[in-house]
Amino acid sequence: MDTQTFLTSIQSSDADKRFAAWREAGSVSPSLIPQLGKLAGSADPGQSKAAIEALTTMTHSVGKDPKSANRAAVTQGLLDLNSAAFALPVRIHALRLTSNIAGEDAVPAVAKEIGNPDLGEEVVYCLERIPGNASIQALMNAYKDAAEDFKPRILAALGHRRAAAAVALCTDAMRSANKEIAIAGAKAFARIGSKPAAPPSFPPEAGLSDWQKMERMDSMLRYAEAQAKAGNAADAMAIYKVALEQAQEHVQCAAIIGIGKLATAEAAGLLLPKLKSPIRNVRITAQKTWKGIASA
Amino acid sequence: MSASTKRNRRNFLKKTAAAGGVFLFDIVPARVVGQQGQPAPSDTINFGHIGIGGRGRGFLRPEANLGKQVPASTNLGGDGSRMLRPARSMALCDVDSGRLDQAASLVGGRPKLYKDFRRLLEDKDVDAVYIASPDHWHALQTILACQAGKDVYVEKPACNTIEEGRAMVAATERYGRVVQVGSQGRSQTAAWHANNYIKAGRLGRVRKVTCWHYASPDGDWTPDAEPPPGLDYDMWVGPARWLPYNVKHTHGAFRWLIDFGGGQIRDRGAHVMSIANWIMDSDNPGPVSIKATGEPPHDGMYNSAVTMEVTYEFKNPDWTLVWAQPGIPSATLDARYGAVYWGDSGNISVTLGDGAGTSTDQKARDFAAQCDCGKAFRSPGHSENFEDCIRSREKPIMHMEAAHRVASLCVIGNVGFQLQRPLEWDAVNERFRNDEEANRLLSRPGRGPWHL
Repeated sequence: MDTQTFLTSIQSSDADKRFAAWREAGSVSPSLIPQLGKLAGSADPGQSKAAIEALTTMTHSVGKDPKSANRAAVTQGLLDLNSAAFALPVRIHALRLTSNIAGEDAVPAVAKEIGNPDLGEEVVYCLERIPGNASIQALMNAYKDAAEDFKPRILAALGHRRAAAAVALCTDAMRSANKEIAIAGAKAFARIGSKPAAPPSFPPEAGLSDWQKMERMDSMLRYAEAQAKAGNAADAMAIYKVALEQAQEHVQCAAIIGIGKLATAEAAGLLLPKLKSPIRNVRITAQKTWKGIASA
Repeated sequence: MSASTKRNRRNFLKKTAAAGGVFLFDIVPARVVGQQGQPAPSDTINFGHIGIGGRGRGFLRPEANLGKQVPASTNLGGDGSRMLRPARSMALCDVDSGRLDQAASLVGGRPKLYKDFRRLLEDKDVDAVYIASPDHWHALQTILACQAGKDVYVEKPACNTIEEGRAMVAATERYGRVVQVGSQGRSQTAAWHANNYIKAGRLGRVRKVTCWHYASPDGDWTPDAEPPPGLDYDMWVGPARWLPYNVKHTHGAFRWLIDFGGGQIRDRGAHVMSIANWIMDSDNPGPVSIKATGEPPHDGMYNSAVTMEVTYEFKNPDWTLVWAQPGIPSATLDARYGAVYWGDSGNISVTLGDGAGTSTDQKARDFAAQCDCGKAFRSPGHSENFEDCIRSREKPIMHMEAAHRVASLCVIGNVGFQLQRPLEWDAVNERFRNDEEANRLLSRPGRGPWHL
């Protein structure tokens, strides 16, 4: 489809013609991205949809292979849409599409808008999806200057990325006087799961809400799980012993399950009293875990 | 009896039993702790309900029924012979206060009402939760419920991304929780008949299963608007990407957007393909390739498939699963959707698999009546199976791993549809081979405070 026919069809009053055009967008030049960006902001919902879908199709057409011919041009075109010249919904859509295909070289252009209150959430989303160290470093850099209420969002992104480079930043966040940041730090730290140089210090329970206490315990259990997988059984066991003494049955169950996976003589010794626990769920979980160890 | 009185009595009994070296649930008869004609508190399951609009209402337990013999709903499978276990809908949660009030009236008594599900999960009197929120909330609410120590019945589809499903499995296993996913076809009698018929080899070897389903709506252009008072719309969107409020994408209509619902393949696919995976013993690990074709709406505000055909190839054993909307309906049964199982020596159909019930061909029903050859576990009903497992701590029939694998079919089918190219699937590692963009679509960053 030639360029003029394509653009005319995208603006057609006939929905089927618009559809036929957007389906072919993978074969048109990325140089049309600015025009599509303008059309995407159109007040005519049919035209706007067709332009949005055309941008999406164009993105998918270069998504499979990072080395595909037009990938750099499409990425640059999408990055260029993230400017004040385009409507906010178009900028947001462009960032979401950028997250599908962008490589490390796109990170500076994406990251520059992280402080924009209308786009910060979308920028973090986009960085979270771009593989490689550059996006992690951009998130860590942004953390330093971020508003207090936005720091937990950045920590969540680093946790989601399992960013080992961010462990020190997370352990530092866990010591924050701001409980939201401290818990967000613990959650990210646990999801990353890497052992820090010094033993981790999870936020103290005092002053935490019930929900935050639950998230703290979950973070400890996730960290223990990661240590067990990494072969650091002693670190895992130290946490499971704490969990085993908690009143909540599900925390005891989690400890029993975790200890069972360690399958050591010490683990068996810790499980034994739980076989007669007065709490039904704990008792059954211990019995099953015991059987699992015995049959292993 | 107040909640605190009840708790104190429970604690006293537990302490007394423990001090004597015995276990309360094992030996104390219900009549000892229950009032005359009433179930014992120790036998009564206290449910919390998160999402109590259309589907969620079906799980409510009216207070007036407590202590009465009420047959279990066949909507959730079983043969109707089971009486409901004593249970109470003691806490209700919805982001829409209008729905909350309606549900409270239906339940009667004085249920605790919440607009924020976290407060319900903190409630230590709640033993287990029914989650019937929109699909984009299923994963996170299930994970958080496990963290809070609740057993969970969550509606299907289990998840919206592969990463979500895997995180749900991990949370279930980490805390040793019972999680049942609401693909109730596996608990329905006709599916069980078909399963036994096929497993007995009556069709020879089954090499193909073809699903059919009517096409999705095209949608229209309804202007965005301010959310109605009483609806916490930011909470409704939760972990999904932000979209301005529109009456045509909230509540039941969320399905037609990929980000929230994902169309028919994720809705009914999680029923029809759940039965297929069960019958074909293919819960684990999954297909090796996916090819999806079809069209989204040409106009209007929705973006999930109107028509689609997704072909999944499985290996060892080799068989093909096709999800098609509209597809070719059964020649023997009249139903809006279902699947035909094609064997070397014949075929049978299994329809629906949801709340409308399931049917199968007469020959499979006759076979079940004639022989004592039930190889498959027969669920007493989906809720009943869930409640049995709350007691036994066994895995329910639609346990989290199986549900994740079924939802995975829906998710990767939609990824193939969105990208409009064939995909190779490494089901063990849950990654696509040689497709970077497709792999990025297997997870989705959260939003605001909502993250896996």
